[in-house]
Amino acid sequence: MPISGADPLLDIAGLSTGYGKIGVLRGIDMTVGAGEVVALLGPNGAGKTTLLRAVSGLLPWSGSVRFGGRDLAGSSPRDTVKAGLAHVVEGHRVFTQLEVLDNLLLAAYDLPRSERMLRVEEVFALFPEIAAKRHERAAALSGGQQQILAVAQGLVRRPRLLMLDEPSAGLSPVLVDRVLVVVQRLREAGTAVLLVEQLIEKALALADRVYALARGSIVLEARTSEADLPHRLEHAYMATASR
Amino acid sequence: MVASIVLSGVAIGCIYALIAITYNVMFSASRVFSFTAGTLGMLGGVLGSLFIARMGMPVAVGFLLALAGGAVFGIVTEIVAVRPVLKSLDQHLYVLSTLALALMIQQFTAIEWSTEPQPFPRLLDIAHVEFDQQFWLPMLACAAVIVGLELLYRHSLIGHAFLAIAEDNYAARALGLPERRLRMMSYALAGAIGALAGFAGGEMLLAFFANAPMLTFYGFVPVALGGMGNNRGAVVAGLLLGLFQQTANFLVGGIFASVAVFTVFIIVLLARPEGIASPALRRRV
Amino acid sequence: MMDTQATPLRPSRANVRGSVSTLGAALPFLALLVVGVSLPLFAGGYWGVIATRACVYWVLVSGLNLVVGFAGQIAIGWVALLTLGAYTTSVLVAGNVMPALPPYLALAIAAVVGAIFGLVIGLPALRLRTFYFAITTLGFATIVTQVALAWQSVTGGGVGVAGPVFPEPFASQWGFYYFCFGLAAICTWMTANIAASRFGRALTAIRDAEVAAEACGISKPVLLGAVFLFSGAVAAVAGGLFASLQSYITPDAFTLDLSVLFFIAILIGGRSSIFGPLLGTILLTVLPEFAAPLVAWSTFLYAVLLLVIVLAIPGGIAEILDFKNRRPLESDRAIVPRPELIVRLLDAAPNGGALTLQQVALSFGGVRAIDGLDLEIRPGQVHGLIGPNGSGKTTTLNVISGYYAPQRGAVRLNGAAMHVLAHHRRAHMRIARTFQTPRIVGSASVLQNVMIGGTIDGEGTFVESLLSLPRHRRDEAMLRDTAMLALAAVGLEQLAPVRADRLQHSELRFTEIARALMLRPKFLLLDEPAAGLSVEEISRLSALLLAIARAGTGVLLVEHHPDLIFDICHHITVLNLGKTLAAGTPAEIRSHREVINAYLGG
Repeated sequence: MPISGADPLLDIAGLSTGYGKIGVLRGIDMTVGAGEVVALLGPNGAGKTTLLRAVSGLLPWSGSVRFGGRDLAGSSPRDTVKAGLAHVVEGHRVFTQLEVLDNLLLAAYDLPRSERMLRVEEVFALFPEIAAKRHERAAALSGGQQQILAVAQGLVRRPRLLMLDEPSAGLSPVLVDRVLVVVQRLREAGTAVLLVEQLIEKALALADRVYALARGSIVLEARTSEADLPHRLEHAYMATASR
Repeated sequence: MVASIVLSGVAIGCIYALIAITYNVMFSASRVFSFTAGTLGMLGGVLGSLFIARMGMPVAVGFLLALAGGAVFGIVTEIVAVRPVLKSLDQHLYVLSTLALALMIQQFTAIEWSTEPQPFPRLLDIAHVEFDQQFWLPMLACAAVIVGLELLYRHSLIGHAFLAIAEDNYAARALGLPERRLRMMSYALAGAIGALAGFAGGEMLLAFFANAPMLTFYGFVPVALGGMGNNRGAVVAGLLLGLFQQTANFLVGGIFASVAVFTVFIIVLLARPEGIASPALRRRV
Repeated sequence: MMDTQATPLRPSRANVRGSVSTLGAALPFLALLVVGVSLPLFAGGYWGVIATRACVYWVLVSGLNLVVGFAGQIAIGWVALLTLGAYTTSVLVAGNVMPALPPYLALAIAAVVGAIFGLVIGLPALRLRTFYFAITTLGFATIVTQVALAWQSVTGGGVGVAGPVFPEPFASQWGFYYFCFGLAAICTWMTANIAASRFGRALTAIRDAEVAAEACGISKPVLLGAVFLFSGAVAAVAGGLFASLQSYITPDAFTLDLSVLFFIAILIGGRSSIFGPLLGTILLTVLPEFAAPLVAWSTFLYAVLLLVIVLAIPGGIAEILDFKNRRPLESDRAIVPRPELIVRLLDAAPNGGALTLQQVALSFGGVRAIDGLDLEIRPGQVHGLIGPNGSGKTTTLNVISGYYAPQRGAVRLNGAAMHVLAHHRRAHMRIARTFQTPRIVGSASVLQNVMIGGTIDGEGTFVESLLSLPRHRRDEAMLRDTAMLALAAVGLEQLAPVRADRLQHSELRFTEIARALMLRPKFLLLDEPAAGLSVEEISRLSALLLAIARAGTGVLLVEHHPDLIFDICHHITVLNLGKTLAAGTPAEIRSHREVINAYLGG
């Protein structure tokens, strides 16, 4: 059950979406409170990435999505970024032809000129390892560094909610931990995080609450403090539909 | 004689290179080629002649208006012929829509302007010499565009935004970049470059509606040979094309020169469909 | 609810319905035929010339229609062949280079020349991207005109040459009209035959679902080659007729405008249609005649029409006239397969050999997609292939279907190594597949889509289809009956005449399976067939796949869905990071600790 009586920061109700004729998500209900870390888990093909794309405006959807009290119907990704919702997409996609600094400046594209460098320096302060490489082309960074750069891009606009799509994918365990430390820091700073992850143990260790998505619907919702979670998750995924 | 071939070859090669750059800038912004690139080149010459020769404006004013006209037609291309079909499942509609638009503009020009080539005004009040302005103006224009684009792409935020959209459209959108507006601006830029090509080359090509199909073809050859979206390759290929064409012209005459150009083009393209410069990589399933 | 009685498939009723609808389809053509034949009775000489010109244009456009409308190749510069045909005929009749030949012979020679050059101009389409190909055809058109201008000794250069005059009864104006009209009618008949043949359907498959066409065994080079030959030949014949109509030809009669007119007529008419482009040609020829100022603006208007069509009605006139596909479909339709019909459809020998992968390895640019994989698909069994995203499932399927060559290891059928990278040969080996996203021809009917699956089983040649000879008709009947049986087996019989793009996603998936069944496959490879299906549909799919396996086919099932995998697989292989993580029966896999972890990610 949702925690407090106050309105959640992100409030999704009855969300349905898909690609062309292929429906992927059906009637999704989900909330993320201010300053919360929520993990979204599920097997491949469940629709986790699709959900994030719908919320940030990359895909059309039906249902209701409210962010900070504001209705996001018809919003483009540009609108949602302006509203304070950042989406770091899957696959640590940064602009390899550009320098690290320019990658971050692009994230500040809509801000007034004077503010841009300020915000970029803020983010560099959070991530010294990429600050050291500010004039190198993004192509020269390792996978883990590119992922950190991608997260940094999401943070330039000081979002209230940061959505991360499988930040650990394709990274070695050491780098994974490095990236997840970032999430920890964000939570401490008061930014809400919606984390889509395949690594269940690590996600559960970080998050306040967890949702499990399978075959297009939410199959489990719980606080991470609850007992026996891994087993309940496994059961939720592998269970065959009732006949 | 050699000097004359080299001069005219490099000059016309620069014009072809500029049209190739027009194709490439549009391609970078939208992943499609537009048939209007050559037509924009034609418009540069026609508008220049219209404003300066027929309407008597000062050269600088006529120049700016011609570029502005090119930018406008570039935007029209994006709105009318590219944007509506990008969303469609049928991947090749853009060929037809841009072809239709290009034909409309060409025919309108033929009927309202003239079906015969009209003189293009002498831009600078200098007497004719061997290294004449009709040769070095296109070279200057080409150099200016290359330098300008380099500055734009390397050192300006909007240039970086263009590169971002070209490299990874999805990530750029997710980051909140105004993808649609940036694409329109790219097309406006491309339009201005195309018009510049026709304007700078006006004295050589004259203000003639039939320059459009000619530039459509000869402006595409450097794109095909240099690799899609590759401006440096396009410039090199354009210059080589210009020199080859003028040499062939001199040796075997105009008509067989076209046959020669075309034959070489087809053979190279069949041998290397992705162009000489770029590697091939396709994943279809 | 399954119908357990083995009801006969009502082929006779389907045939009768087929004949009636054929008559209905022929009606517009017959109407035009009547108008055309009786034209001299109500039209004056001036309109006679216009009508003759329309017929001549249609002779060219009918062939180009197969290239542009059906095969989807954007050949803008086809006027080159009109020019070639016109000059060849005229020069041979005038006797500039050799003793004068009779006009019919000259026309025939022009047809041969046209066929050869049609092939030359068209074949780059196999190597080049769409836009590049379009530009090269434009280049060809310019070259041909310029050669005509330059080769003065033969073509008369800018001065031109006289067009051929055909002997009586075709020398008079109306006589010549009937000659052209007759040829136009023959071309209509021939191209309509192709449209309704496996070649026409294969062309649309190449256009809209190329990868699926290859999986069905359709050879793009051979088919396009045949079409370019035919199209070039008729275009050249049109050229000869054009020269005769004009009485005198010069290079500037063959303008780009003319090429554009032909091209636009097809697009206005609509793709995959004969009647649409026919109407389009007549329209574009006749329109400028209605007002003098229109003549100057005609190309402008054609271009405007093209833009409007592309943006608003991509299907053209044909779509506007397609009344039967406007009838609403039942909204709660269910797919009810009849697995008992599978036995009648498949005849795979149950004692055939297995399909095996031995130590297959494949990397993409440094990333090991598959790393030493062993897999055996036995006939009569369903073999499941599961694993997280990026584990190599789809890559494995693509290696088996011949799209990628393994860098190490071998793929064997019955012990013999399979020829790698021959993806269009897999169909001949009776290996069929479906795709992650359904690849179908949206503008064709469901029945036509399924019939595409059986293309390689037709015996008649292209020429036999052109002339509607008996073997062609036998092929059509056989393909139609088999396709109806396949559709009944998967439960989509009642949707057979419906345009495929009106179907729901799940129905498209079953259509793909029906198409794959046309090959009577020894092995069936399925790529995530359950994605987007409801629980009910998945259970029906299960029954269908089990019936297919029981009939002796070896089934490889790449899937995410636990329901499908654990219920029907005899054997499961679990992939992770390109290697086999576990292999065994469903019961073994289900309790396998590592598998569960891999799925949940630990």
